[in-house]
Amino acid sequence: MTILGGIGFATPWLLMTLLALPVLWLILRAVPPAPVRRMFPGVVLLLGLKDDENVTDRTPWWLLLLRIMAVAAVIIGLAGPVLNPRANTEGRGPLLLVFDASWAGAPHWSDTLEYARQVVTEAGRAGRPVAYLRLTAPETPIFQTADAIAGAVAGLQPEAWQVSQDLTAEAVAALDSLEGTFDTVWMSDGLDYDGQATLRDALQQSGTLRVVENSRPVLGLAPARVEDGAVLVPVHRSLAQGTQNLTVLAQGRDPAGTARVLATGQVELPAGELSGDVTLDLPSELRARITRFELLGQRSAGAVTLADDGLRRREIALVAGRMDREGLELLSPLHYLDQALQPTADLLTGPLLDMLPANPDVVVLADVATLSAAEEDALADWVSAGGLLLRFAGQRMASSDISRDVEHRLMPVRLRAGGRTVGGAMSWGEPKALAPFDKDSPFFGLIVSDEIRVTAQVMAQPDPTLASRVIATLSDGTPLVTRKTLDQGQIVLFHVTANAEWSSLPLSGLFVEMLERLAVTSSSKRPEAEELAGTNWTPVQVLNAFGGLEDAGNLPGVEGPDLMNSSLSDALQPGVYQSGDRQLARNVLGEGEVVPAPAVWPDDIQVDGLNLSKETELGGGLLSLAAILLALDVVAALALAGRLLPLRIAASALLAALLFLPPNPGVAQTDADIAAARASELVLAHVLTGDAAVDDIARAGMQGLSDTLFFRTSIEPQNPAGVDLERDELAFYPLLYWPVTPDQPVPSAEAYAKLNAYLRSGGMIVFDTRDGDISGFGRTGPNSRRLQTLAAPLDIPPLEPVPQDHVLTRTFYLLQDFPGRHAGREVWVEAAPPDAEQIDGMPFRNLNDGVTPVIIGGNDWAAAWATSPDGRALLPVGRGFSGERQREMALRFGVNLVMHVLTGNYKSDQVHVPALLDRLGQ
Amino acid sequence: MTQPVALRTLAETEAARLPALLARAERLAGTVLLGEHGRRRAGLGDDFWQYRPAREGDSRRMLDHRRSARGDVQFVREREWQIAQTVMLWVDQGASMRFSSSPNNADKIDRARMIGLAMAILLVRGGERVGLTGTSLPPRRGNAQILRLAEMFSRDEPRDYATPEHRAMIPHARAVFVSDFLGDIDEVRLALTKAADRGVRGALLQVLDPSEESFPYQGRTIFQSIAGTVSHETLKAGELKSRYRDRLAARRDELASLCRATGWQLGMHHTSEPAQAALIWLYHALDGSTR
Repeated sequence: MTILGGIGFATPWLLMTLLALPVLWLILRAVPPAPVRRMFPGVVLLLGLKDDENVTDRTPWWLLLLRIMAVAAVIIGLAGPVLNPRANTEGRGPLLLVFDASWAGAPHWSDTLEYARQVVTEAGRAGRPVAYLRLTAPETPIFQTADAIAGAVAGLQPEAWQVSQDLTAEAVAALDSLEGTFDTVWMSDGLDYDGQATLRDALQQSGTLRVVENSRPVLGLAPARVEDGAVLVPVHRSLAQGTQNLTVLAQGRDPAGTARVLATGQVELPAGELSGDVTLDLPSELRARITRFELLGQRSAGAVTLADDGLRRREIALVAGRMDREGLELLSPLHYLDQALQPTADLLTGPLLDMLPANPDVVVLADVATLSAAEEDALADWVSAGGLLLRFAGQRMASSDISRDVEHRLMPVRLRAGGRTVGGAMSWGEPKALAPFDKDSPFFGLIVSDEIRVTAQVMAQPDPTLASRVIATLSDGTPLVTRKTLDQGQIVLFHVTANAEWSSLPLSGLFVEMLERLAVTSSSKRPEAEELAGTNWTPVQVLNAFGGLEDAGNLPGVEGPDLMNSSLSDALQPGVYQSGDRQLARNVLGEGEVVPAPAVWPDDIQVDGLNLSKETELGGGLLSLAAILLALDVVAALALAGRLLPLRIAASALLAALLFLPPNPGVAQTDADIAAARASELVLAHVLTGDAAVDDIARAGMQGLSDTLFFRTSIEPQNPAGVDLERDELAFYPLLYWPVTPDQPVPSAEAYAKLNAYLRSGGMIVFDTRDGDISGFGRTGPNSRRLQTLAAPLDIPPLEPVPQDHVLTRTFYLLQDFPGRHAGREVWVEAAPPDAEQIDGMPFRNLNDGVTPVIIGGNDWAAAWATSPDGRALLPVGRGFSGERQREMALRFGVNLVMHVLTGNYKSDQVHVPALLDRLGQ
Repeated sequence: MTQPVALRTLAETEAARLPALLARAERLAGTVLLGEHGRRRAGLGDDFWQYRPAREGDSRRMLDHRRSARGDVQFVREREWQIAQTVMLWVDQGASMRFSSSPNNADKIDRARMIGLAMAILLVRGGERVGLTGTSLPPRRGNAQILRLAEMFSRDEPRDYATPEHRAMIPHARAVFVSDFLGDIDEVRLALTKAADRGVRGALLQVLDPSEESFPYQGRTIFQSIAGTVSHETLKAGELKSRYRDRLAARRDELASLCRATGWQLGMHHTSEPAQAALIWLYHALDGSTR
C-alpha cells in the first residue's frame, strides 16, 4: 500500500490515468450536445433569428468540470484509497503480540484490544502467522493464522496484578522455546517493572520490536488510613502530567443493605505532583460502612482500594462496677457511655473474661477498682497487645486502695486516698471548670465548654511522671484525664465518674468528642508480617483487573506473611482475605506504595501511541460520488438540450413530495403534557444507550412489538418512547427494554436510585446483551461484562434460568423457549423461592407472587421485533421459513412478556389448569 | 393512372372520414342553433315567411309543434329571407396545418375543417349559398353542397404553406378564411385587397397550436416545417422565445391592420380551446356583416 498525504492506495499506478484528464477536457470541450429535431410550423417566423452567443456550441465549463470530476472520482475510487491507513508492519515472518495485560491497562483495555485486532487483521492480509503472549499469565505462544487467533485475542482479559520479575522470567523462558525469528508488537500498559529490559532484549533478538503504549497517566489509590478522625485516601499517578481533578467515591452498603456511594471526595493533582490525598470527613457510623474506595471513571484494580478492619466499627467492651442497682438508668455508670458510643461502635457487655477473647478494641471499666488476678493478667496482656483500656473513677475507686502506694499496672497514675469534693454543701470553693487542652494532648483543638463543672474527682499523687501523663486538667491544674502506655496499648483514666454524679462532663458534647479522639487514636493497626506467621488466610472476594469484586470461589488460601509481603500474582490476587474473625484487604497498591514509574524505552524501539484512528476505505464513497455526478450530468445535459421536463412540473412534483412528508413533529410539548399522555396510555419504553444504531433498532423493535400487541391482544400501546435514565421519569412505563452496548456510560447514582425505586414499585427491566450468537457455554462477551457493571448497583434478587413452569411460558402463548434474533442463551428471571415444590397433579409449582423485576438474556429481541414504519421487518432472522418461525416465536415471547408485566401471576391461577392441560394435549 | 383497387380503397377511406367530419360538424352546428333558440335572440331572418309541410330530411327540431298540433300534418315554420347571401369558405389545407404539439390537442387542420364545415351547415340551414373560394366548388344551396364541401375539405395539400384562394370572388358576397396565416403575408394581403375591391367582406380565423403561441422550447434544436421545406437551427431555443413572440405579435398586428383597412374581422382560435367558441364568434361575425 502506498501512502500519499495520509491516504493509502491499494493500486496507486491507476492514479497515472489522472494524467489523461486534460486530454479528456479537450475532447469533451469540443463536442456540443446533440440537437433535437422538432416539427414546428412557426419556423418561418424564426428564419433569420441569430443566436446571441457563439461559444455555446461548446460544452459549458461547469458541465465539463462535472464530468471531469466524475471521471476523476472513478479513477481515484478504483485506486483503492484508504484513510488513516495502518502503517505497514514490515517483514513477512510470524508476528508476536505481547500484552502487559496488567491492571494498569484495564481502563483502556477495549482500545488495546481494538488496536490488537487491527494488527491481527493487517497481519492476516499479509498472510503472517500470529501468536500472543500475556505477560501477567505467560504461556508458550503458538503461531496460528490470523483468522484463528483473532477470536482468542478479542477475548483476552487483563489481570489484576502487575508483571513481576518471576513472570518476566517465565515469559523469557517461553520465548526461548520458540524457534526462528518473529516480529513483535508489544502492547504496553505504560508502566515500568522488573525484568522489562530482559524481556525487551529477548524480543529484540528475535526480530523487530514495536511498542504501543498509552500516553495517559496511570492512576492508583493506596489504602485509606484514618488520621485525626478523617479518612485519607492517597491518590497516585504515574506521570506528573498536567493538572488533574480526581474524584474518589467511597462505596458501601447503606443501612438497608443496598450498595451505594456513601461519600465523594475531590483532589486536584497540580502539574508536577505525582500524589495527593483525598480527605473524607465522615461520621464514624458512615465510615464503618465503607467497603471500598474507587476513583471515578477509572476502571482498574489499581484505582480501587478495599477497606478492611481498619475502617470497621470498633468493638468496645463495657464493664461497670455496680451492677446491682437495677432500674436506675440515669444513674447507671454506663448510661452516658452507652449513649455516646452506641452510634459508632459495637458494644459488648458481660463478664470481662468472656469478652476479652473477642478481642475488643477498647475495654471500658467504669468505677471498677479491683479485678481478680486472672482478670487483671488477661487485661494486662490484652492491653500490651495494643488494646485501649479506658477507666472511669467513682465512689468505689475513691474508697479503694488501688494504686495508692505503688502505681498499679492498669492505672496511669497513683491516687490519693479519698479524692476531693469541691463546691459541695460541705466544702469550700466553687465547682471547677476545665482548662483548655494542651498542645500535646490528644484532645487539643476541642472547644472547652464553660458550662462543664466538676464537683468531685479522684486526685493523682504528684509523681515525676505525672506531668507527662496528664492529657486534660481542671482550671486549677489538677489532672482530669491521665494516660500511660503499656507496651503497644494504652491506659486512660478519667478522674471523674462516667455518669453525671461527679461532673457535668458526661452530659456535654465534649465528652463524646473526647471519647472519639481516644477511640480514633486506638484504631486497629495493620498487623506486621511477623505477627501473621503461622496464620492461613482464605480469599473471600478478589478484584478483577477492572476493579470489580468477584467471588473468590475456590482460590487457595495464603500464608499470613505471604499475604503481607509477596507480590501479587495468580496465587495471590488482590482482594479481601479472611482468617477467623479478622479480615484483611490486599490491595493492588499497598500501604506506602505508589504507582510504578512509566516505562522507558530505548531510542531504537519504535513507540506508537494507542490512538485508534480507524482505517476507512474511501473507494466506495468515491464511486458513489462519481455515480451521483454522472446522474447530475444527465440532468444537466438534458436541461441544456431542452429535453428536461418543464420546471413547472418539477416544482409541482417537489411540492407534492413536500406535502407527503410526515408532519413536523417539532411542536413543543411541555413535560407535563408528555407526562399526562404517558400516564394515560400504555407506552413501551427502551433505554437510550447513546449508540444511535442500537437505539434506532430498539425503538423499531418496540414499535413492532406494540403493533403486534395491538393486532393480537387487547393491549393497545401507543408509540414507544426512548428513555434517558438521567432525565426522564420512569414511573410511566411498565417495561424498560435495555439493550446493552459495551461502551455505554454507567448511569449516575441518582439514576440508579431512580431505577431501584422503579424496580421496587413493580417495574420490569429487560436486559438484552444482544450477543446470544457468540456468548453462552460459559463464555462472555464485552456486552455481558458491561451488563455486570451496569446491573451491579441495581437491587436485583437472586436469578435463575426460566424454569419450565414459569408463568412467562404461558401468559398468552404457550412457549418453550424465548428466541429473538438469536436463539442462543438462556433467559434469566427472578429465582423461585426455595420452598416452592411441585404438588402432585399440578403441572406448575406455585411460584413467586408478582412480576420478576428483571429479565436478562442475550437474544437481541428488539432486532427480531423491529419493523419499519410501513410494517416490514427490518432485520433478517435466521433463514427461510424457520427464520420466520423464529421471528414469530420472538414476537410471541414479546407478547407474553408484556402480558406478564401487566397481569403478573394471573396465569398461575389454578382455575386455568384444566383448560391449559387440555390445550397442552398431554 | 390510379389503380381501381387503390382508388376504391382511397374512396372508402375518404368516405369513412366524411361522415365523421360531417357528424362532428353537425353536432357542433346543433349546439349553436340550440343556443340561439334558447336565448330568443334575433338571428338571420327572424321574420315569419310560411309554414310548409315537413319533408324528408328535416330534423324533428325544425318542426313547429304549435302549428303541427292542430292537425295531422307536420309543418316547418320557415322564415323570411330578404336576400340569400353567398358565403365563400377557404380552409387552409397546407401541410403547416397538420400539426399538433400534444396528443391532447387536435391538429390545426382538423379543427379548421370542423369549424369551416360547421359554419357551412349553419349557413345552409339558414338558406344561404355556400361554396369554396376559387373555381373548385361554386356556391350552392342544399344539403348536397355540405357533402361536397366535406369531400373538398378532405383533400390535403402537399405544400407547406397554402395561399388563400382569391380567384373568382363573387362581388358583394361574404367570405371566411380559416388558416394559421403563418405563410406569406403578401398573399393574404393580395387576397383581402382583391376581396375588398369586389365588395366582399368576411372574417379571418387564425387557428394556432398553443405551442406556436408560447414557444416552450429549450436547448439546441433544429426546427422544421412539416413538409420539411424550411428549417432553422438554434443552439438555445429558449433565447429565441421573446423574439419569436414579437414576430408572431407583429404578424397578428399586420393581419389586424389589414382587416381594419378592408372591413374584415380577425378572430383567434387555439386548438386547446373548444371549437364552439370559435364557431360562435364566426357566426356572429357573419351575422353582423350579413345585415
